[in-house]
Amino acid sequence: MDKIDLFKLHKADYIAPKKPQSCHIANAHYLVINGVGSPGEDNFNDAVTALYAVAYTVKMTRKRNNLGDYVICKLEARYWSINKQCLSEQDKSQWHWQLMIRTPSQVEISDIEQAATALTAKGKTVSINKVKLIEHEFAHCIQMLHVGSYEEESRTLEQMLAFVTEHQLSATGEHCEIYISDPRRIPMERLKTILRMPVSN
Amino acid sequence: MRKKTQQSYITRTVNVVNYIQQNLDNELTLAELAQQANFSSYHFHRIFSGMLGESVKELIRRLRLERAAIELRTSTTSILDIALGAGYESDMAFSKAFKARAGLLPSKFRKSEQARFPCLSLSSIRYVTNEHISSFEPFIDKELNMKVMIKQVDDMLVAYVSHQGPYKECGHAWDTLCGTLAPMGLLGGNAKMIGVSYDDPDVVAPELLRYEACISVDEIFSTTDEIGFKSIASGRYAVTTHIGSYETLNETYQKFFGQWLSQSDHESADQPCFEIYLNDPESTEPEELITDIYLPLKELNHG
Repeated sequence: MDKIDLFKLHKADYIAPKKPQSCHIANAHYLVINGVGSPGEDNFNDAVTALYAVAYTVKMTRKRNNLGDYVICKLEARYWSINKQCLSEQDKSQWHWQLMIRTPSQVEISDIEQAATALTAKGKTVSINKVKLIEHEFAHCIQMLHVGSYEEESRTLEQMLAFVTEHQLSATGEHCEIYISDPRRIPMERLKTILRMPVSN
Repeated sequence: MRKKTQQSYITRTVNVVNYIQQNLDNELTLAELAQQANFSSYHFHRIFSGMLGESVKELIRRLRLERAAIELRTSTTSILDIALGAGYESDMAFSKAFKARAGLLPSKFRKSEQARFPCLSLSSIRYVTNEHISSFEPFIDKELNMKVMIKQVDDMLVAYVSHQGPYKECGHAWDTLCGTLAPMGLLGGNAKMIGVSYDDPDVVAPELLRYEACISVDEIFSTTDEIGFKSIASGRYAVTTHIGSYETLNETYQKFFGQWLSQSDHESADQPCFEIYLNDPESTEPEELITDIYLPLKELNHG
């Protein structure tokens, strides 16, 4: 059985152009965990750990049971504000987020539950139980590659917003990111992140 | 600058070189050579090639070839006998190797008065009978820019699966290990992915390389026969980070042993190194892979 690599199979969903570009991202399955708080702080890091623990446990268990193998996709995240305020005006500690790892549709809710039970029994972080399997359709989005620190995203976002205005679209207020580079390895100024802005016509 | 330690490494390496020169007709095993210089046999090969820029095997082969060149020109010994004396199984194999290095066949070299003796290496260790090397300037990479931390590591219990064969093919051991531990909820959190490589791929044949895929666990549990448990020894370790493909790990090992270690105040302990893998090779570009290499050190001797 061939190993499924969704990131490569759905290249068009992960285009990373230097100028804003419009794209359509169809319904897909994701392992997710929701939370509130500053990215990079305890709450967030704990969620990342929990999400990856479930992701790898499910993957390796399914592989062991000959249910097929797949590559764990890049981490993605959606950010929003509860009171519809623009994120940049909101204190980061109030940011709501959903961390996501795209997962093949063959993976079932029972796989997730089994993994969570096993991991919890071994005393791994309690956030394990917050990991869910969902379907999500980003639908119409504007996408662009951002190179540099997360703090400097505003300059890329400005270009994307200008594109939205020019094409008479409207942003939904949600901000999405796909983390291409490993922040432990890549110097801040060279970090690659795909910024994704869901829009409605 | 740690002159004293480095001088000791140089002196010991020189002893090995001189020993090789004097015993070219013997088999010259790595264990025997390591013993000559009082180096840990685990790490001797890497220290040697790191310092001289030439592996033990290469040096021996080259010196035998240089000696053969002299014999060709100055004696009437048959080419077959010279070939056998240089460690080749046939005059064909010898001719091929000689031509590759010297540019012409041994038979032509023998007849030609003009053909120059092959200059087989940039280093000045040559086959000679009237000189004795007393010291050398270690082969130092000017770019050596290695960040090394000395760490005290606690005992670490691991579950492991052994693999014998090319390091590249250790994936199967990892599948067995992860496939067993995943359903038990033992992946994730602080579980560390550790590789123990026992052999230097420059010296040991690919099919004989020994490797252990290990994952740190809190306690021993009952499981299949394929899984073993052991403790990774506590102690002092020098740790450096290799960034990039696993295929180039060996270059970092080479620098770590041959250059960093010989210029440091430390001495390696007689036990294998281990590697901790910090990201997933399936979903990470090879050039972004991060591996911490742990080199075991002898306890400091405050004598």
